Amino acid sequence: MSDRDPVRKPAARAGDKLALLLGLVPYLIDEVRVSVTEAAAQFDVSPEHMRTLVAYLTGTGEPGPDGLYLPQGLFDIDWDDFEQRDVIRFRRAPLDEKPRLSSREAAALLAGLQAVAALPGFGERADLGRLMAKLARGASGEVSPVSVNTRTADALRETVAAAVAAGRRLRLDYVTTRGEREERDVDPIRLESVDDVWYLRAWCLSREAGRTFRLDRMASAVAIGAAQQHESSVDDAGALFRGDAGGLLVTVEVPASALPVIADYLGPEDAVEYVGDRAIARIPLAHRGLVGRLATRLAGVGAITHPEDARAAAAQWARAALAAAE
Amino acid sequence: MAARRRIPPEQRQFNLILALMATDQGLTKQDILSTVMGYADRYDDAGDRDNLERQFERDKEDLRDLGVPLETVDQPGAEGDTKLQRYRVPKSRYRLPDDVEFSAEEVALLSLAAQVWREGSLTEQSRRALTKLRAFGHSVEQSVIGFAPSIRTRESAHDPLAAAIDRRRQATFPYLKPGAAEPELRRVSPLALVNHEGRWHLHAHDETVDAPRTFLLSRIVGPVRVDEAEARAPRLDEAARAQHELQDVFDRTTATVVARPGSEADVVLRNRAGTVVENEALTIRTTDLAVLADELAAFGAEIRVLEPVTLRDAVLDRWRRVVSAHE
Repeated sequence: MSDRDPVRKPAARAGDKLALLLGLVPYLIDEVRVSVTEAAAQFDVSPEHMRTLVAYLTGTGEPGPDGLYLPQGLFDIDWDDFEQRDVIRFRRAPLDEKPRLSSREAAALLAGLQAVAALPGFGERADLGRLMAKLARGASGEVSPVSVNTRTADALRETVAAAVAAGRRLRLDYVTTRGEREERDVDPIRLESVDDVWYLRAWCLSREAGRTFRLDRMASAVAIGAAQQHESSVDDAGALFRGDAGGLLVTVEVPASALPVIADYLGPEDAVEYVGDRAIARIPLAHRGLVGRLATRLAGVGAITHPEDARAAAAQWARAALAAAE
Repeated sequence: MAARRRIPPEQRQFNLILALMATDQGLTKQDILSTVMGYADRYDDAGDRDNLERQFERDKEDLRDLGVPLETVDQPGAEGDTKLQRYRVPKSRYRLPDDVEFSAEEVALLSLAAQVWREGSLTEQSRRALTKLRAFGHSVEQSVIGFAPSIRTRESAHDPLAAAIDRRRQATFPYLKPGAAEPELRRVSPLALVNHEGRWHLHAHDETVDAPRTFLLSRIVGPVRVDEAEARAPRLDEAARAQHELQDVFDRTTATVVARPGSEADVVLRNRAGTVVENEALTIRTTDLAVLADELAAFGAEIRVLEPVTLRDAVLDRWRRVVSAHE
């Protein structure tokens, strides 16, 4: 399990800092009079940083025709408000316009909205389509060509989403990766997707613990009454892919160039060693039944090299598949 | 004189935008370097002049990346002479059109849209877009509704390809075709990045074979080189067209499979998008039979592929390779 802070902020880059200035200036002008703390909260910076930004602005502006910066071309604030009451009020501003989005910025939000449209109840919303059109008009050029396909929710996803929204307990007929069918009663917390795979985070009443269930492993889901409230889990979505701790550790070897083929088996902490042009990775599996599946992923490019009984299990698994196909 | 204080890059760039917006006829490079704060304070140092010019070139790129409409105007009669070229930022193309305003509810939806991206340039671009939209004064908080869709862009090819599309440059990369043992080098005009059924595809014009091709990003197995050569321009609705084409292929390309009743394969394949159940047989859909072969082979003895025969053979081949690699 990752020990990284999932809400940690990435380091601000120069582009982010310029975007902050471009967004901040029209905000401060529009607000007319706003406290330093409120403006800082709106832009997710510290009050101290906000004061630095305002102080910078008062020293810049547009140069005059002869290239000199004259007072009438500079930003100017009410200094009494600023220094005595910690309040920002501009008296003069050479720039008060809200900036357009770049082609790629608009594309990132637009493609994100296409993914949001796949959520139950969102696909039919007319405001989503209007918002997409508005984003395109707010871009400085043609929106970059990025798109996400939007598949309307199926009946199962509708049922689960309705249970999340209305706080209903669900009875699941669930198949595990061990191939076992289990009946589980769960209280839903959140419906999530990673790429095209949908997950229900829920409180499992039979395990008395938070658990994550893949929707495509549910043979059925039926609402059976009111759910109870449980603490929401804040795990990073990436953690959904990690095997249960205490499983089996296998070593695989592939050409380094083929490593992306098993990218989704590799966690951020999983060590990969390089020997010449070969990559050797140690991959945790939740149980022995998954050995054949991993070996199939490697088919043609690499193999499980360790432990010996995992190699034997992979070969036996594939022989059984070949025998069943006869 | 006090020790010279370096002005942070974003302040120098903001000063540049202000200066270029204040001028109608534009400023020459010399005007800019000798007057705009952040450049002018270093202009007198002749030894620093080359650095300063390179700085200006990078700043122009950064501004354009951020969607600032930086125009270059040639001096009549001296086209292409960079010394005489003038630069300006027209306010009308810089500012959001008057009728483009975002309500609190719309900003909340856009925050949800931004949260879709888990990493990479789409995360960065969304974050910058939201920073600009904070100007509307609405809250850009993490959404706490019970739904959270997310899409990963873990393939390292994604960011360089997005940049190549943006700068309209050809790109070269090693591509490992499904079933092939060795990657081959492809040179393409990249046209659109399309996420279909959870997989990232590059829609491109393959310059080597001079034909449109679609590539799976997960099978680009080495660094993407962005070339100097200019690429073909994407059509206006390139991403939507590529998306429709993939969907057409998906609807048309079917396979028939029998799964052991009640098994994991049975449950998962019935829940798979586009599956039709007829008696014992499942008709399933894909954009790529080789990719489907990988997916089906993972179920082992729980499934039998009936048709097409090429898919059946591809699945058997994968199992045979597993046997031979682990004996």
